[in-house]
Amino acid sequence: MSTPVTVSHLTKRFGKTIAVDDLSFEVPAGAVTAFLGANGAGKSTTIQTILNLHKPSSGQCEILGTNSRKLGPTELQQIGYVSENMELPLWMTVGRFIKYCRPFYPTWDDQFCNQLLREFGLPLDRKLRHLSRGMRMKAALLGGIAYRPKLVVLDEPFSGLDPLVRDEFIRGLLQLTGEEGWTVLISSHDIDEVERLADRVIFIEDGRKRIDRAVPELLENFQQIEITRSSTDPLGETPPDWIDYHESGRTIRFLIENPDSDLETDLAKQVADATGIQRRPASIREIFVSLSREKRNRITPES
Amino acid sequence: MLPFSVNLRPGTAVSEQLLAAFHRALANGQLRDGDAFPSVRAISRDLKISPTTAHKVVTHLKDRGFLVSLPGIGMQVVAPDLAPAAERLALLEPAAADLLRRAEELSLSATDLATLLENLEQSKSDTT
Repeated sequence: MSTPVTVSHLTKRFGKTIAVDDLSFEVPAGAVTAFLGANGAGKSTTIQTILNLHKPSSGQCEILGTNSRKLGPTELQQIGYVSENMELPLWMTVGRFIKYCRPFYPTWDDQFCNQLLREFGLPLDRKLRHLSRGMRMKAALLGGIAYRPKLVVLDEPFSGLDPLVRDEFIRGLLQLTGEEGWTVLISSHDIDEVERLADRVIFIEDGRKRIDRAVPELLENFQQIEITRSSTDPLGETPPDWIDYHESGRTIRFLIENPDSDLETDLAKQVADATGIQRRPASIREIFVSLSREKRNRITPES
Repeated sequence: MLPFSVNLRPGTAVSEQLLAAFHRALANGQLRDGDAFPSVRAISRDLKISPTTAHKVVTHLKDRGFLVSLPGIGMQVVAPDLAPAAERLALLEPAAADLLRRAEELSLSATDLATLLENLEQSKSDTT
C-alpha cells in the first residue's frame, strides 16, 4: 500500500500568523503515528488542512493518493475523522445518528457497529445532547470507524476523557486494526497513552517539525543525563546540545540527543569537577516536556 | 486479560519489554509448554499497544520456535526444556547493570558484589 498521507512543504497562514511553517512528513500505512506538540503548535491546523477543511497557503497534502484540495466522496468514504471539538447533531438519538451516518458509507459494517455499541455501552434511545462528554466521544468514534476506513485521523480524542472511557476508546479503535489496510494518525497531549500505542512520533513546535522518528529509535536517541559535582558553584555557560538544563546544589540534569559512545568522557571534560555521571533512556514524556520547556526558556529565559 | 504478567514502563521499546515478559513467564512457569497464547489483536487491545508492535513480537517468537500457530485453534506456547545459560543470564543483565551502578555509587566493586551474592547463596542453603 502506498503512503496514506504525505505532507510536503505545507505552510498555513491566518492573516499575519503562521500556524504551519514549511512542514513535511509522511504517515506510513499499517501503523499508529502520534502527532505531538504543545497547545498552539499547529497540530489541528495541519490535520484540518490534510482533510481539506483549510486551503494550504503553500505546499500540499496528499491523502490516499489524492491532493487534499481534490478530496471527493470516494476518498472521504475511506477516511474516519474524530476531533475533540467536532460538531455532532446533538438533537439526534444514538440510533438516529447511526442511521444518519450509515448511508454515506458503502462499506458500513453493521456487525462491527453493533459490537462497538455493546462495548461502548451506548444507549440507542438517548439523544447525543444528553450524553456525557465521554459517551459523546465514543459515539463520534463509532460513527467514524464503523465503516472500517483505511485511514483514521483523531484530533485530540482523549482530552477531557476519564481513564476508563479512554481505555474503552483505545480498545474500540484497536478493534479496527486487522490484517487488511489500516492507518491511524492521532494528535494528542496524552503522551502516556500514546507512548505505548504509537509506532511513530512526529513532534512539532511553532508549526515546524522537530522530531519525526519510529518510537524504538526515538527512545534510543534521547538520554537523560545526571551529573554530580564536588562543588555547588553554578556552572555558567553550558553547551548548546544540553537540552532543558537544570542545576540544583551539586546535581545537574539535562537531556541529550544522539549521544555518542564516548559521551561520558566528553562530559567529564566539560564538567571538570564531576564525581558521578549517570545516563538512562528518556521516556517520550520526558523528551516531549524537555523540548517544550527548552523552547519556552529560549524565548523567556528563566530569571 | 493476558495469561502472563506484563508491566509496561516508559523509556524502553514496548516490543523489548513484551519479549522480556514472555521469557520471564516461561522461566517462572506462568506460561508452559502447550498453553494457549493470545492473538495479536488480543495482545494489542489488552495492553493498548499498536498491533504492529504486537505482531512484531509474535512473529519474533514464532521465528524462534517459542510459539506455533495451529489452524483452527490459535497459537500455542512451545517451551524449550531449559534455555541456554547465556540466554537466561542475559535476562538478568539489566538488573545486574543496575546493581553494579548502585555498588559504584557506594564505592563498591563487582568483586564485592560477587562476595555478597555468594554469602547470600550460602546462608540460603544453610537454612534449607
